[in-house]
Amino acid sequence: MPLVRSLSMTSLNGLPQWEDEDLPVEDLLLFEVAWEVTNKVGGIYTVIQTKAKITTDEWGENYFLIGPYFEHNVKTQVEVCEPLNPAIKKAVDTLKGQGCQVFFGRWLIEGSPYVILFDIGSAAWNLDRWKGEFWDACNIGIPFNDREANDALIFGSLTAWFFKELTSQFDDKPNLIAHFHEWQAGAGLILSRFRKLPVATVFTTHATLLGRYLCAASIDFYNKLDQFDIDKEAGEREIYHRYCMERASVHCAHVFTTVSQITAIEAEHMLKRKADVVTPNGLNIKKFSAMHEFQNLHAMYKARIQEFVRGHFYGHLDFNLARTLFFFIAGRYEYSNKGADLFLEALSRLNFLLRVHRSDVTVVVFFIMPAKTNNFNVETLKGQAVRKQLWDTAQCVKEKFGKKLYDALLKGEIPDLNKILDRDDVTIMKRAIFSTQRQSLPPVTTHNMIDDSNDPILSTIRRIGLFNNRTDRVKVILHPEFLSSTSPLLPMDYEDFVRGCHLGVFPSYYEPWGYTPAECTVMGIPSVTTNLSGFGCFMQEHVADPAAYGIYIVDRRYRSPDESCNQLTQFLYGFCQQSRRQRIIQRNRTERLSDLLDWRYLGRYYMHARHLALSRTFPDKFEMEPNAPPKTEGFRYPRPSSVPPSPSVSQHSSPHHSEDEDEDERYDEDEEAERDRQNIKSPLSLGVLPQRKKKQHGEYRN
Amino acid sequence: MADQSFVTLATNDSYVKGALVLGSSLQHHRTIKKLTVLITPQVSAPMRKVLEKVFDEVLLVDVLDSGDSAHLALMKRPELGVTLTKLHCWELTQYSKCVFMDADTMVLSNIDELFEKEELSAAPDPGWPDCFNSGVFVYRPSIETYNHLLQLATEKGSFDGGDQGLLNTFFSSWATTDINKHLPFIYNLSSISLYSYLPAFKAFGSNAKVVHFLGRMKPWNYTYDSKTKSIRGDTSDPTMVHPEFLNMWWHTFITNILPLLEQHGIVKDATTGVKAEEVTEAVSHMSLSAAAPTSPPCPPPAESSEERKERWEQGQADYMGADSFDNIKKKLDTYLQ
Repeated sequence: MPLVRSLSMTSLNGLPQWEDEDLPVEDLLLFEVAWEVTNKVGGIYTVIQTKAKITTDEWGENYFLIGPYFEHNVKTQVEVCEPLNPAIKKAVDTLKGQGCQVFFGRWLIEGSPYVILFDIGSAAWNLDRWKGEFWDACNIGIPFNDREANDALIFGSLTAWFFKELTSQFDDKPNLIAHFHEWQAGAGLILSRFRKLPVATVFTTHATLLGRYLCAASIDFYNKLDQFDIDKEAGEREIYHRYCMERASVHCAHVFTTVSQITAIEAEHMLKRKADVVTPNGLNIKKFSAMHEFQNLHAMYKARIQEFVRGHFYGHLDFNLARTLFFFIAGRYEYSNKGADLFLEALSRLNFLLRVHRSDVTVVVFFIMPAKTNNFNVETLKGQAVRKQLWDTAQCVKEKFGKKLYDALLKGEIPDLNKILDRDDVTIMKRAIFSTQRQSLPPVTTHNMIDDSNDPILSTIRRIGLFNNRTDRVKVILHPEFLSSTSPLLPMDYEDFVRGCHLGVFPSYYEPWGYTPAECTVMGIPSVTTNLSGFGCFMQEHVADPAAYGIYIVDRRYRSPDESCNQLTQFLYGFCQQSRRQRIIQRNRTERLSDLLDWRYLGRYYMHARHLALSRTFPDKFEMEPNAPPKTEGFRYPRPSSVPPSPSVSQHSSPHHSEDEDEDERYDEDEEAERDRQNIKSPLSLGVLPQRKKKQHGEYRN
Repeated sequence: MADQSFVTLATNDSYVKGALVLGSSLQHHRTIKKLTVLITPQVSAPMRKVLEKVFDEVLLVDVLDSGDSAHLALMKRPELGVTLTKLHCWELTQYSKCVFMDADTMVLSNIDELFEKEELSAAPDPGWPDCFNSGVFVYRPSIETYNHLLQLATEKGSFDGGDQGLLNTFFSSWATTDINKHLPFIYNLSSISLYSYLPAFKAFGSNAKVVHFLGRMKPWNYTYDSKTKSIRGDTSDPTMVHPEFLNMWWHTFITNILPLLEQHGIVKDATTGVKAEEVTEAVSHMSLSAAAPTSPPCPPPAESSEERKERWEQGQADYMGADSFDNIKKKLDTYLQ
């Protein structure tokens, strides 16, 4: 059956091209407030930390991050100093004078922005009074047994107090913009509005509280979005006060943003406000000076993973490591939200397909999801020890062999190959081989799980029977701990591990943004995502043929679970059928998408949100064209002109791996890369591709 | 025996729920003693009716109305209101001996053997074991003792502001004189010991005869899911480490007390299988009317802002009513342009 060769160019709506006038940053102060400033507890840390560079580039000395003080964080990440800005110094000193510890310094990350950190504990004695003030502001009370919410209130009260001390020193300018992230920072926003402080406020929701709860409860969330009685749902889940803090913050903000289209839809129903701007999350893209360096890194780290696999499957290494693909899923252990359920089911189907078609491809799948464990299990450690022992034996025999050979050659003789190994050597080798025999199957998990019998991943593996049998073409390894280069088992950092894998699989049901597939992309590793993840939506919007660029988007929104699972299975099976060359080409394309995810481009959404907030707060000073909807010209990644290297299953009824077959594929890396670069850098030069068919804005946004 | 009784005290409708569960648990374990409950005027009329179903005697104590020396004591030391009410238990001279139990306790087996003990027998307090905990104690009603206690209260007050401080001052020889007056801890196992001495709890907890739900969160403040037969709650709450006792409390409440409340129209009909939402809703409405100890019993007046805030802080926001987000939004809109 011939491959479908589509050479059509499709343009999709890309990045908005509004021309924001540059803001007079010298007359403004920008504050970004979040619980995760210098405090790594979740994904928002990554957002703020990576974005700092472009924000300081724009705002310089007038940019400040506000967060909570934790001694350990400050010791390792912050260089404490005195504020240069006299107004800031005065406000900080006022708070200190009232007995609240405030720390000022530079956060030692790229861009080294200023940080203002409040010591929550030192201010806790005000809690009762502040609870009263918060009650007066919004009629929301905070249960005494919710420590996190109480901390959030102290943090918010300190923030609003700081803004009050600061703004009382200014007449006309500078004007303040305060950008708050998530409900933990929201109290500060509510109190600032209550006290009518002259501050332009932006609130960003990365994921709604209620959405996360409802999704985890395996409710058909997205199809019932408009049917929830949200007050009741929050009340029953005993998060009513948190939900109220979040929703009140959203309601009070001058500008409300979410990190993705899908979260905007969620927020519209869970927080009852439409997002003014969608502000996608970016990354700091590391550029290698050498072209395709990422391909070399892939080869290097793949070899490291192969070593691990050699040990893990000792005694069962009857598969060809050169034709073995490494898939992985990683993230917080949220079994169904992260799509581990769908993935396991698809793996079971993939195993079946590969066996039926007698494929020589083996897939080793890693689950990197931290759970409670009692350290590594003995069998796994033994595997690595056995591998090491065989390696040592081989080295030892090789050395003796080499010496004898050398001696023989010095004498001008060809050594007698039958005598070059003496009995001792043979014994050593035999003993080594005997030690590799194993009675059990290679273990599914690398650690002793504390709740082994109830673990959802292990339970599913038991049910579908993926026990790493010899006949299984899909092998599974659950590594219930984050990776570390100091691990005795798999000594690699997460980044190196990702580089060494072939495909990241993240079929999430609930994923407001999804940094994991984004990180894969910038490292040139293809990944599977879904149209329920922020990242998937973003890619669908900006790339015409995502699969060709190594972004497989599973439809989990409009399809039944079984259909989604089949689709995922097809993606995986299709991926397995690619030749090595096709994979290399695909990785090149994937890596080229990095520019799309660079903060240098995505940061402009934040600029737009700030400008909008200023024009709403100080309408006589900051103008904005009234309804200037962001024009949606921008980058567009057309379908690559060569064959998309992602054949679907139906097109291959028989296996064919001949490398020759790819020879006819027209692929010119340089030409294609150049065109992609054009598409990003000069989005308006439409003349380059005259036959492009324009699609209307919104067509892909159902 | 007719001249011996268990005595408890309920000062509002929430504590009535506790008293009812306590009374029901005593009956369940076949006590042969009388059951007496002291109530204050804050307890609503329907609740009094329910109490009469469970207790042999329901006695109204109104310190303010008594006009006696207790009233005088209260004038001097208004902070001792509830304490003085509790002291009234010494006036029950129709009984020769009594065991007082707080309304936030529950028995797990028959404890009639306590009546063999003498005044004043009690278990040590987990916070300061040289003091006894006044949640469970054996005493002899006597007007003379009552007057001495009142006198002490008037002259010296209570070092902890409550009855426990006063009683420990009065029976100050308890710690050192007679070991027979030390009740084993299993007669007053406070939930605090779960986290203050977990290994001991694991070793001896199964022998417990009386549990005492100390702390601000009382069993009736939790939400119970009758489908899973368990308490819903924040796992960071240390008492949730071993929720068995809470679950037991709720089980008693649902099976024995809720039907009574329904009969008296306090809770809507829920005979066809108890739906957790309805129950909790009904229950939280009950605590709503009981939140204000000084308010007249029935009907519940509109709550003050302070009371509403207090209820939020107990995790009992009325999210389907006064505290709905629409009302919060109206509040916010008063200052947003």
